[in-house]
Amino acid sequence: MTRYRLPNRGRVDHARPVRFTFDGKSYTGLAGDTLASALLANGVHLMGRSFKYHRPRGPVSTGSDEPNALVGARRGPGRFEPNTRATIQELREGLEATSQNRWPSLAFDIGSVNDHLGSLFSAGFYYKTFMWPRAFWDRVYEPVIRNAAGLGVSPTEPDADTYASRFAHTDVLIVGAGPAGLAAALAAGRSGTAVMLVDENAEPGGALLSEPSVVIDGKPAWDWLATTVAELNALPNVTVMTRTTAIGYYHQNLVGLCQRLTDHLAAPPAGAPRERLWKVRAREVVLAQGALEKPLVFDGNDRPGVMLAGAAQTYLNRYGVRVGDRPAVVTAHDSAWHIAFDLAESGTRPAVIVDVRDTVDPALTDRAHALGIETLLGRTVTGTSGRLRVKSLRVNRMENGAVGAARDIACDAVLMCGGWTPCLHLFSHTQGKIDWDAGIQAYIPGATTEAVRIAGAGRGLWGIAAALEDGAAAGALAARDAGREAEAQPHTVTADRTGSGVTLTELPTDRNPAAAKAFIDFQNDVTAKDIRLAVREGMRSIEHVKRYTTNGMATDQGKMSNVNGLMIAADALGKRAPQVGLTTFRPPYTPTTFGAFAGYRQGATFEAMRKTPIDPWAEAHGAVFEPVALWRRARYFPKPGEDMHAAVARECRATRASLGIFDASTLGKIEVVGPDAVTFLERMYTNPWAKLGVGRCRYGLLLGEDGFIRDDGVIGRLAPDRFHVTTTTGGAARVLNMMEDYLQTEWPDLQVWLTSTTEQWATVALQGPNARKLLEPFVEGLDISAGAFPHMAVAECTVSGLPARLFRVSFTGELGFEVNVPARHGRALWERLWEAGRPYDITPYGTEAMHVMRAEKGYIIVGQDTDGTLTPDDAGLGWAIGKAKPDFVGKRSLTRPDMVAKGRKQLVGLLTDDPSVVLQEGAQIVADPTQPIPMTMLGHVTSAYRSDALGRSIAMAVVADGRARDGETLHVPMPEGVIAVKVVKSTAFHDPENARLSA
Amino acid sequence: MTIATPSGVTVAELPPTTRISLRIADPAAAGLALPTAIGARSAEGARTALCLGPDEWLIEAPEADRAAVLATVAGIAAPHSAVEVSDREITYALEGPAVLDLLATGCPRDLARMPVGSGARTVFDTAQVVLTRETQVRFHLTVWRSFAPHVRALLDIAGRELAADLDRNWLHG
Amino acid sequence: MLLIRCPYCELELPELEFAYAGEAHIARPADPAGLSDEEWRDFLFIRSNPKGVHFERWRHVNGCARFFNAVRETVGDKFLATYRAGEPRPDVATLKGDAK
Repeated sequence: MTRYRLPNRGRVDHARPVRFTFDGKSYTGLAGDTLASALLANGVHLMGRSFKYHRPRGPVSTGSDEPNALVGARRGPGRFEPNTRATIQELREGLEATSQNRWPSLAFDIGSVNDHLGSLFSAGFYYKTFMWPRAFWDRVYEPVIRNAAGLGVSPTEPDADTYASRFAHTDVLIVGAGPAGLAAALAAGRSGTAVMLVDENAEPGGALLSEPSVVIDGKPAWDWLATTVAELNALPNVTVMTRTTAIGYYHQNLVGLCQRLTDHLAAPPAGAPRERLWKVRAREVVLAQGALEKPLVFDGNDRPGVMLAGAAQTYLNRYGVRVGDRPAVVTAHDSAWHIAFDLAESGTRPAVIVDVRDTVDPALTDRAHALGIETLLGRTVTGTSGRLRVKSLRVNRMENGAVGAARDIACDAVLMCGGWTPCLHLFSHTQGKIDWDAGIQAYIPGATTEAVRIAGAGRGLWGIAAALEDGAAAGALAARDAGREAEAQPHTVTADRTGSGVTLTELPTDRNPAAAKAFIDFQNDVTAKDIRLAVREGMRSIEHVKRYTTNGMATDQGKMSNVNGLMIAADALGKRAPQVGLTTFRPPYTPTTFGAFAGYRQGATFEAMRKTPIDPWAEAHGAVFEPVALWRRARYFPKPGEDMHAAVARECRATRASLGIFDASTLGKIEVVGPDAVTFLERMYTNPWAKLGVGRCRYGLLLGEDGFIRDDGVIGRLAPDRFHVTTTTGGAARVLNMMEDYLQTEWPDLQVWLTSTTEQWATVALQGPNARKLLEPFVEGLDISAGAFPHMAVAECTVSGLPARLFRVSFTGELGFEVNVPARHGRALWERLWEAGRPYDITPYGTEAMHVMRAEKGYIIVGQDTDGTLTPDDAGLGWAIGKAKPDFVGKRSLTRPDMVAKGRKQLVGLLTDDPSVVLQEGAQIVADPTQPIPMTMLGHVTSAYRSDALGRSIAMAVVADGRARDGETLHVPMPEGVIAVKVVKSTAFHDPENARLSA
Repeated sequence: MTIATPSGVTVAELPPTTRISLRIADPAAAGLALPTAIGARSAEGARTALCLGPDEWLIEAPEADRAAVLATVAGIAAPHSAVEVSDREITYALEGPAVLDLLATGCPRDLARMPVGSGARTVFDTAQVVLTRETQVRFHLTVWRSFAPHVRALLDIAGRELAADLDRNWLHG
Repeated sequence: MLLIRCPYCELELPELEFAYAGEAHIARPADPAGLSDEEWRDFLFIRSNPKGVHFERWRHVNGCARFFNAVRETVGDKFLATYRAGEPRPDVATLKGDAK
């Protein structure tokens, strides 16, 4: 038994010790502990150092509002999480935890020198101090600040854990399984409606876990809790999820939940993800998140041992841990009195109860005196002492508004309560209105924008009885709105502890306030005087005060600090709190791992990698791949010892000399069918289609309505009313969407339909002088001789016994065919052609050789040689426009003044003076390389390759008035020097007469 | 309510079948008793017709019926489009008591409300899919061929997650 | 993630099935050649971008594949109505009255 653990108290399992380490030292806690409760049971309060001043800190809370007790938690390689809240991390066997933000040790930290320089580090310090010299920012100030500041250290190894995600749909989602949430779940659940009840804690119960003395429906609170949870679990329409934090509340009742699945397990099962992100769509939401206790703001309110009074109650009643031998209670609210009573009754009599109020309910003082606790009313607290643990409390009498004589009271813990504030974070995410309740001096939820109800302390109703009643009403109403008959069941409560209090700014002091360290935001080390300084320096909006001081911007999202900061800012501004307003809360409610957001999208399932039916063959034959849109495509097929240039040169040479084989399956394919198919294509594409015969193909150019090139591809006519349209690989989905848009919304009268067939067909391209010789024996039902099946012919036939669509097309400038067969047969066809092609030295080539060969022919690639600002004329494709057509998409734009003006960039060829130099794609082009910087840039290189066929480098570029510059020398300035290039107006570098492809 | 049951769910790739995307403005003119509500499916022997859009039906038939079903749609006199897409996609059968949980790992639709015998085009992760509900606990998921390995990998990961049955690890595991 | 009622499927479905498609009720001119440069520019580029009620197009791309129209209030990001392509604009005052 550890020194501060009470036997047989709390909900921990006293029969199950759990071993763990903190900063390398071994400790023992109990099953059911958090790391914080286990350390406190061992007498360890010092758990961390603060962000800016490196002040020693211990836990202030027991939950997700914890600003101080942040640790690193580790479970073997790749499983390290910084900034884990010790109050949330459940103890598990073998847990390795380490403190943060200290060097060389937690107890002796060099960085704490900042604490003594505190006056230098006031609000806006960084903005004011590091302004000059400017060059120092990158090299001196920022690295030093980054090194000294910050909390935990980022993990350096890849995360070894996996994460999950899940969509869910429910009638009623209840956030928070305290008394209000449980009552709501009972009322809604008994109606038969679908209910999800979620809570961020390890078990449901909320405040009931800390207040076992309350009696509900005639049962002790924990018996009632057990009965209620059992009933809910038995209802088939109710799901109860613990360790599940509602992190964000989005439109139309979509709530994001992060569920912690394995962090509490000593040995997680195989295949188990660490966390799961839920996206829950609820018809009705009940927020039963309760209220947050506020610290009191006084000098030294951050020493280890100083904590929220409610936290001490939870440590005592839920975990059986005394937070000290001689705690002192300091409060502005009745609730802390009951905590003092619980402590006294459990054998730890508080040294004193200090209340800032002049009078309290006499029942409280009577009870305190009966328990032998000294009470001091109408006091202020002006300081604490103790380096690594609080040793004493300085208390002053208040006389007629003035601070009177001081008295030091020895203690080893200070339990403070500055009242309670409803937890408005999730409600705030919905942009719901927040109102100031002058009666309880707190912000409460106002008008809603969603189908949501707030129940219990979350709307300022204090006490278990009120929470149960309000929760039951909210649950019943939610179920009714979801279409069920529901009743709010009554609950009887005895021994409830309601109370009231006052809302304050920082406590008055007799000491120099400028020297006080009265903390508001513990994690970001923001003090009361920082807020006042920000106001003095001109910050008027609470949002500006927040950003200037960083109040509320730490990982606890201002759960403890926002209202205290607001009250002090309002006081400094001479306004009332509601005139100043609250800062906006944004998701996530608590820090959430990147893993949870990524979910399954990591590793091999990061995103879909589309592969063609022929991809496995390419992989088996050593292909190097490249991503093209979501596809992976074989880029080249290196032989042993070959680099990319050697492989590509060989592939091009073999194709032009004899025969290349290429997987063109990724090309987009759209089947356009219907009596109005021709009319539709006439309107969509620039080219004329009416006279294209069945069995013929044509290059099609697609513009946007703005006149710029969007896509291109070969279109074949299979029947009078049926076209096989091809698109670029990356443009397939976009083109189909654009076509559907026009068809559905502009020309719904047309009788034509579009079907994507990209993946119906596998496409094998055979290119080279021997292409026909190889293919001919495989083809049945079609004469593919040059005369019978000329360039740009298409036919349906049988190839190697497979139903096929055969195109005679060429993107290389060689005699070429593209064979489309049903996708399941693609690999088989490829392998048969490959085997039969050996006598022709058949060579598989990849996208790189394809790019080189098409550039040798001057064929553009949309998206590489065009960039969304090129017209057909700019790209040298004016010939593709059907001049006689009255209209097509983009036609009107081609005569806009800017489109016909001089100076437009035009696609041209570039030949470097030095044929061995290959230009960089994207390099800028200038006329005079000696002109001063910034130079006048004429255009840029769009494609550049080493051409084996031409024995030199070639390039394509867009250049202002490019075609008029034919023969002109321009320059490409590069870091290594200026490259001289000659402009050629035609990009057809190789076989400009097209003799080869017509063979 | 149990979120996931350990017996989980099985995922199996179905053999190829004949699929035709039939488009027609007036379904009555097709003479095929096409259902007209989006999501509804009709069956005639082993042939089914699923209405995917106001003028779109996915006709499915066994491979052995391919020629016959192609001839049937080719015989429609009214203007229409019939395009064979048998090889465009792969179909997986997902079956088991946890099938809704499995699908909820990637599909945002509330599939509990999908009636048996109906279907819909929707998404799973980033892939467009067609789902049909064959029984209370059996769905068919049809996805474009190149997206199938991605979807299958996700289904397998989710299947292992369901088998780990984390949701039974109540307090302290 | 919004819920959007598809006027063809007649179901309220998750936004992940839909794609936004720009402002609605901007018909392509029947005779573009008859338009002045300014008129054509306005058709191409000028959009209302209101703070408030916006008539816009969506496509149920991962569903029935139809383009349709919607009325969305852009401040609260809430749909007031969806309706089929080709149907007239609904009356906003009526929609807002219904919403109350």
